[in-house]
Amino acid sequence: MSAISTTSTTSAVADIVKQFRANLRTYGLIIATIVIWVFFFAVTDGGYLGPQNFSNLFRQMSVTAILSVGMVLIIVTGNIDLSVGNFAGFISVVVAKLQNDVWRIVLPDQPLLAAVLSVLIGLAVGVLFGMLQASIIAYLRVPAFIVTLGGMWVFKGLLLIVTEGKTIAANQPYFSAIGQGYLPPLAGWIVAAGVVVLLFYNMFRSRQKKRQYGFELGSLYTDLLKTVLFAGLLVAYVFFVNRYNGIQVPVLLLAVVAVVVSYVSDNTRFGRYAYAIGGNREAARLSGVNINRNIFTIFVLMGFLCGISGIVLASYVGYGTIAAGNGYELVAIAACFLGGASPAGGVGTIFGAMIGALIMASLTNGLQIMNVPAAWQYVVQGIILVLAVLGDVYLKKK
Amino acid sequence: MSDDIILDIQNVTKQFPGVTALSDVSIQIRRGEIHCLCGENGAGKSTLIKILSGVYPWGSYEGHILYEGKELKLGDRSIRQAIEEGIAVVYQELTLVPDMTVGENIYLGKEPVEYGSINWDKLYADTQQILTKYNLDIQPQAIVKNLGVGKMQMTEIAKALSENAQVLILDEPTSALTEAEIEKLMEILRTLKEHGVTCIYISHKVEEFFRIADSITVLRDGKVVTTQPAQALNLEKLVSYMVGREMKERFPKGNRKPGQVIFEVLDLHAQDPVQSDREVLKGVSFNLRKGEILGIAGLMGSGRTELVMTLFGEYAKITQGKVKLDKRELQPHSSREAMQEGLSLVPEDRKRHGLVLIQSVLKNISLPNLDQFASWLRIDNNAELNASMQFAKSLAIKAPNLHVLCDSLSGGNQQKVVISKWLMSKPKVLIMDDPTRGIDVGAKYEIYKLMNDLTEQGISIIMISSELEEVLGMSDRVMVMHEGKSTSTLDIADATQEKIMALATGIA
Repeated sequence: MSAISTTSTTSAVADIVKQFRANLRTYGLIIATIVIWVFFFAVTDGGYLGPQNFSNLFRQMSVTAILSVGMVLIIVTGNIDLSVGNFAGFISVVVAKLQNDVWRIVLPDQPLLAAVLSVLIGLAVGVLFGMLQASIIAYLRVPAFIVTLGGMWVFKGLLLIVTEGKTIAANQPYFSAIGQGYLPPLAGWIVAAGVVVLLFYNMFRSRQKKRQYGFELGSLYTDLLKTVLFAGLLVAYVFFVNRYNGIQVPVLLLAVVAVVVSYVSDNTRFGRYAYAIGGNREAARLSGVNINRNIFTIFVLMGFLCGISGIVLASYVGYGTIAAGNGYELVAIAACFLGGASPAGGVGTIFGAMIGALIMASLTNGLQIMNVPAAWQYVVQGIILVLAVLGDVYLKKK
Repeated sequence: MSDDIILDIQNVTKQFPGVTALSDVSIQIRRGEIHCLCGENGAGKSTLIKILSGVYPWGSYEGHILYEGKELKLGDRSIRQAIEEGIAVVYQELTLVPDMTVGENIYLGKEPVEYGSINWDKLYADTQQILTKYNLDIQPQAIVKNLGVGKMQMTEIAKALSENAQVLILDEPTSALTEAEIEKLMEILRTLKEHGVTCIYISHKVEEFFRIADSITVLRDGKVVTTQPAQALNLEKLVSYMVGREMKERFPKGNRKPGQVIFEVLDLHAQDPVQSDREVLKGVSFNLRKGEILGIAGLMGSGRTELVMTLFGEYAKITQGKVKLDKRELQPHSSREAMQEGLSLVPEDRKRHGLVLIQSVLKNISLPNLDQFASWLRIDNNAELNASMQFAKSLAIKAPNLHVLCDSLSGGNQQKVVISKWLMSKPKVLIMDDPTRGIDVGAKYEIYKLMNDLTEQGISIIMISSELEEVLGMSDRVMVMHEGKSTSTLDIADATQEKIMALATGIA
């Protein structure tokens, strides 16, 4: 009675169905995104998916989506971070202040150096404050909800102190490229080509390695299909945005951040431990996982990502404002849950959160174009979030 | 006490897939008596309680239960119905809300209400009435979490009595009580008897029976061995009724020759991590030879699990004593450190402590061992799968592939996953806490064979078990624990069930 099969290849169709069922949530989200786009496309007579709007859509979501990337890991471990909105806002005004008030005096006429220093300091602020919150949560065992709630207010206050209640301009050259820049179309195509090559290389390499071990290989056709689909989507995206100035820098940053953190959470011990802690903290502890260190690192990472987000925010808006980042934490958290994360922890992917963020941004953007009053946009967002998770709960029960 | 039978259990049989929990059980409980029930783990005691209390409703078992002369048919809201009929259970794990008062707990869900709000005066007055009537020495306004375990238990009893319980079932009531609290409990039971309440008292600590029992029933393997008036029995007879069955071919013969001592525990004392004035381990000493299986026996509450969790670095604070592995002194402060030294622990509660149920078999097996296939940059998924499959194969884990989630596996297979995960870390000493609990006979045999194989490969095993047969069938030597202390270690040739029980109950 053989318990485990190791060598058999399955038919393409059966494989597709199996993978679809296993990832119902993710595929459902992708389908939902497409449905929303089609809907708004129809209602706006095509304006919605025009190159400029399409391009802006992705840029609009990047600031909060970067926050979501870090938030996924935090939710996976069973925690939450309420401070990220005001944290990113605080960093955005710190960076704006540096750009506008400090470097003008200390480093006149050196916009590139100024921008680089601003970025480095912004990231450092993110990491340092992140370490502060992280140590209180991980080592002093104060619940994350409380620590980050306090942090949220502290950052708000610090933000007001730094701005002195005024708006600070942050649109100097080089610095403004971060939030407002574009990758020239040729460069965009080169990047796309590189990524496509990488995708195919990865696919074949992993098949080859599995064969070396004598493992069961999925059908070649399904693997090819998936890779072609991904590559196709990427090419389509680049094509669309290249019709209006090219890939936007903040979107590129988001993509890099999402891919890196996604890789870490799937393929490193650190990521594995995070999911184990969320899945069963006691069992993880008794399996030798250093829980404190893992949680500490996750919150420091979040701080770093708040840094990136804050820098992009300042550059994108062109100003450090007194309301910077207000409410962003809720958008980031909603994207995670929409994307399949569970409030109980142990479940959730960065890819899902990105789709969740895309859905929310698509909705907001579409409603704006239709001139729906902002108030109703909030109502729609709230309803969609609850409906999506309700659907998930319902499906799980069956 | 009369001859009037309040609860007549007739030919009750309860089956689960693969296991018969109760087989043709007939017991007669007289009104107003204290009827004690005993038997080893798996004898059927909890199943019987669950039937009487409505957890298993009428129709899920065969046979009849007559309560007050009428058949007990607990249907839809069976648990609530049972309580309304007058059958209440005081469980071992107390079901109180710690931050509420005694009165609030007793009347939880049935608070006296006046014009939409709770009538606190009446609630506390009623509470005091019950407490006075049954001589329960607790304050109605006391907050439960500040009470000791003994008083918490009194609160639970009061809660049952507030529902006018006629039959009170107490499940392992004394396992967490001090001697003084036990005596108080006994008095309460006597008071209840005076009020005509019938008590069914289930316990491992059979020596207590003779302080209060009117009748005693012994269960074994789901069957009633005997029911007799307490006066007709004494401890030795009782113990022999509980055990005395032949050791069939349930335990595979090992082929091991234990070597030198490699693991020693010397006069270990440890204090409770929460209640720092309470000593959990009061002097444990034993040693383990290379390639042997040391069985640790003892009653529930004797400190066995606390001992091994402490050795694994994950429980109590060691205040005194030494632990030595291969002559090196160990002071593990975490499971990670213990692992690195060469200890592995298969915990008692596999669902809570052993597995991340929402994850796959693969991820569970590899979790403590990821360092074997990972650099800081990535985990080699193929190496991980390969290594895990080897363990899955050698332990014969039944699953279509390693990516299925653990919560879809049977208990036996789940336990094998836990064992695989700890074998992968190549331990010198493998500690197994009740390794075959809740597992069917076939899977048990496979685990026993595995244990034999491991010892032949040079791994030394410490096995905690509550089943005397298992202890006697598998161990080379047996150490018995009693109330936080280790008693003597018996060589298997000298060990008998009676001797072990005697050491475990403290009469030896």
